[in-house]
Amino acid sequence: MSRRSYLIKRVLQAIFSLWIIATILFFLFRMGLPDPTAALITEGLNPEQRAAVRAQFGLEEPLWRQYVLFLTNAVQGEFGTSFSYRAPVSEIVWERLANTMILMLAAIVIAYAIGVPLGAWLSWRRGSRVDTAGIFFGLMFRSAPMFWTGMIAILVFGVMLSILPTSGMRTLPYDATGFWDKVLTLDFLWHAILPVMIVALYYLGSPLLIMRNTMLEVYGEDFIEMARAKGLRERDILYKHAARNALLPVVTQLAVTIGLAAGGQVVVEVVFSWPGLGREILNAVRTSDFPLAQASFLIMAAFVITLNLFVDILYTTLDPRVSFR
Amino acid sequence: MKSSHLLACTAITAMLGATAPAMAQERVPPVEIYTTTESYDPIRYEGAFIIADAWRELGLDVTVSPLEFRTLLDRFYSEQDFDTTILGWSGRVDRLDPQFFLGTLDSRQGAMGANNPGGYDNPDYDALYDAQSREFDVEARRDIVHEMQELYMPDVPVVVLFHRDEVVAYNNTTFTNMNAMAGEGLYSEWVPLEAEPVGDRATLRIGGPQEPDNVNPLASTSVWGWKWMRLYYDRLVRLTPDVEPQPWAATSVDAVDDVTIDVTLREGMLFHDGEPVTAEDVAFTFDYYMNSEYSYFNAYLAPVESVEVTGDLTVRFNLSEPSAPFATITLSQIPILPKHIWEGIENPEDLTPDQIPTVGSGPFVYDRYDRGEFMSLTTNSDHFYADNISVDGVEFVIYADAEGVFTALQTGQIDMTAWRMEPGQIPLAEGNDDLTVVSVPDFGYFHMTFNTRRAPFDDVAVRRALTYAMDRERMVNVLLDGRGEVGTTVVAPVNAYWHNPFVERFEFDMDAARSELEGAGYSWDSEGRLVR
Repeated sequence: MSRRSYLIKRVLQAIFSLWIIATILFFLFRMGLPDPTAALITEGLNPEQRAAVRAQFGLEEPLWRQYVLFLTNAVQGEFGTSFSYRAPVSEIVWERLANTMILMLAAIVIAYAIGVPLGAWLSWRRGSRVDTAGIFFGLMFRSAPMFWTGMIAILVFGVMLSILPTSGMRTLPYDATGFWDKVLTLDFLWHAILPVMIVALYYLGSPLLIMRNTMLEVYGEDFIEMARAKGLRERDILYKHAARNALLPVVTQLAVTIGLAAGGQVVVEVVFSWPGLGREILNAVRTSDFPLAQASFLIMAAFVITLNLFVDILYTTLDPRVSFR
Repeated sequence: MKSSHLLACTAITAMLGATAPAMAQERVPPVEIYTTTESYDPIRYEGAFIIADAWRELGLDVTVSPLEFRTLLDRFYSEQDFDTTILGWSGRVDRLDPQFFLGTLDSRQGAMGANNPGGYDNPDYDALYDAQSREFDVEARRDIVHEMQELYMPDVPVVVLFHRDEVVAYNNTTFTNMNAMAGEGLYSEWVPLEAEPVGDRATLRIGGPQEPDNVNPLASTSVWGWKWMRLYYDRLVRLTPDVEPQPWAATSVDAVDDVTIDVTLREGMLFHDGEPVTAEDVAFTFDYYMNSEYSYFNAYLAPVESVEVTGDLTVRFNLSEPSAPFATITLSQIPILPKHIWEGIENPEDLTPDQIPTVGSGPFVYDRYDRGEFMSLTTNSDHFYADNISVDGVEFVIYADAEGVFTALQTGQIDMTAWRMEPGQIPLAEGNDDLTVVSVPDFGYFHMTFNTRRAPFDDVAVRRALTYAMDRERMVNVLLDGRGEVGTTVVAPVNAYWHNPFVERFEFDMDAARSELEGAGYSWDSEGRLVR
């Protein structure tokens, strides 16, 4: 199979998966709730008024028509009107998604920038005290619930020391003409320190431990033996030969992490009152605002699928052993 | 052959029943208590078990069924398919007028989906309900309202379990003169008008875990939308903290007769864009609401038949029937919208957030609303009440949860909480000298409603006995940590003007419960089960 037809096949597969997910979401939200319009209907409405409200949101249409409409609109990035905000869902979702991604990407970049070299270094010092300590802290922050680490951080840095802000993205009120205008400020960085730190500590464990363990496997390979035999320095063997080959599983993990990041870490967004997508999903589910909820879930799914696709393609470049079959 | 046999049997049983009750004894049917799930509300969930234990002691076969909240609402209101249910009514300010809560026992509200799912049916009560709703004389109306409470209590169609206190806090180093209002807490429409800064900042900062659904006065259906909007829209009448109607945008409200009300507007009022507020705007607003798809105000607007402009500053309301709550509820809840802005808007419910007009005439001027983050208002120095206002603006910071709000209060980022604190935060706030904790009783209530159409709750004696068997004092002490009050009538004690304290109270008494049952011909079989 040629590289090109492999690509086409993978893209088609991804689109198919997305369609399945969209379909499941659509029907799930209409069947899971006693009355999907409950969020819309207030007390004191008679049946005719109920019908009028339902019609206004297109809910009086037959189900299959709603479904077709939903799909056609979704393809164009339109997700209807939010029941509670009465605003276009896409507008809300994109803004929230950007807020989430800036937090998550910053945290992920930091976690991997530190975790990967640190993991390699730990493998080199395997069995030593640093190694034990590294594994211990990596696992600890990976297992500690973020609402707990977050609240401790707020208590220490926000309440007791009063040196860092504990909520929001900016000092309120602020004026920003767009997303970048909002984010490219010192004030934003100042507000991002605590949440980014908490998320980064949480994510740190994965690259650290994966890198360390893969490195240990790689050390047993013949080409490392060969490099040693050539008389290369231990440092060069570690970073130039072993680390490169140990990166593949880390890349996979990174892609999955970024994909899932679209949903945000609801807990962190709640603890730090970060106006992200995760918090919005929580609200949408609570208030049965299902246009908003289904759009959010669909976008999350799209992210995971796209990044997986991207990694599969990247693999063919990174690892020549992966064939197109 | 068979059926005539059966008939004969029944006849004999009936005859015997009159002379020797012991012979026809049958166990009382099992009952099921519907309540919320533990995760939705642990208080109502636990409360159901406290009640069930006591009822079992009386020999009743009881199961507790926690239901998902929407299912619970459906079973109770839409389907009326329940034995007995624990639910609640929130204390919205317009419910301080007794009309709404008394209406929940009116037999004409007994239809599916309406507010009397228990089906209490008492023609005398219904007649009094109509009478109070027509009575314009407040004292005379109060007498009727008191009589109604006295009348229904011995029948106990519903048990008011308890009223929960709303515990809120403010920072006393930044603001003083913060007077909490029943059912509203600190985030009332009066606190921003009365608060006095003692620190450097004169802008009152409120923090809350909830934000408006939207600020469209023709689409918002949440109390959070209206709590904010009422600060920048004027109403004709404003309810004082003691819930008395006080003229506001109106200087006078006169009843020409039972169904004709003349309202005179204050002179010189301006909308925030500089246009004068006239009778045209008032009439337009009421017409606009009555002709809209928006249903939130339907109950308030129901008595209004038409509104006429009778002069520059005078309007006449024609009612379809006499309505006592018209002045307290309708006139105090409907905002005055500027005609020149809204008259061109065809489908106001479809406005997107950036299209929603925010021009009112109220004591504060809309400034901004950044969804999920922040809202602010500035003080309207042209307003007739401006001289009494000390703050230069109001800000509302939106947090994700109660924890965030409390941290912000502790660190001085906000001056007061908009919503009740979590139980764990209360002692922390009390231990902090900078914070003042305020506890206000709620006039909303948690209730247990019996399905009076179903055995055994169709029998007054059973309802009375089971009410005696509810240890509500314990519920308040254990479940609410003492922060609440045992319920009596549907009109809460804190609503002092309308509440009748002289009614049958049903204090917890298992002996009284037993004798109530015995008196009605119930007894217990060898296994201790209730029979009749």
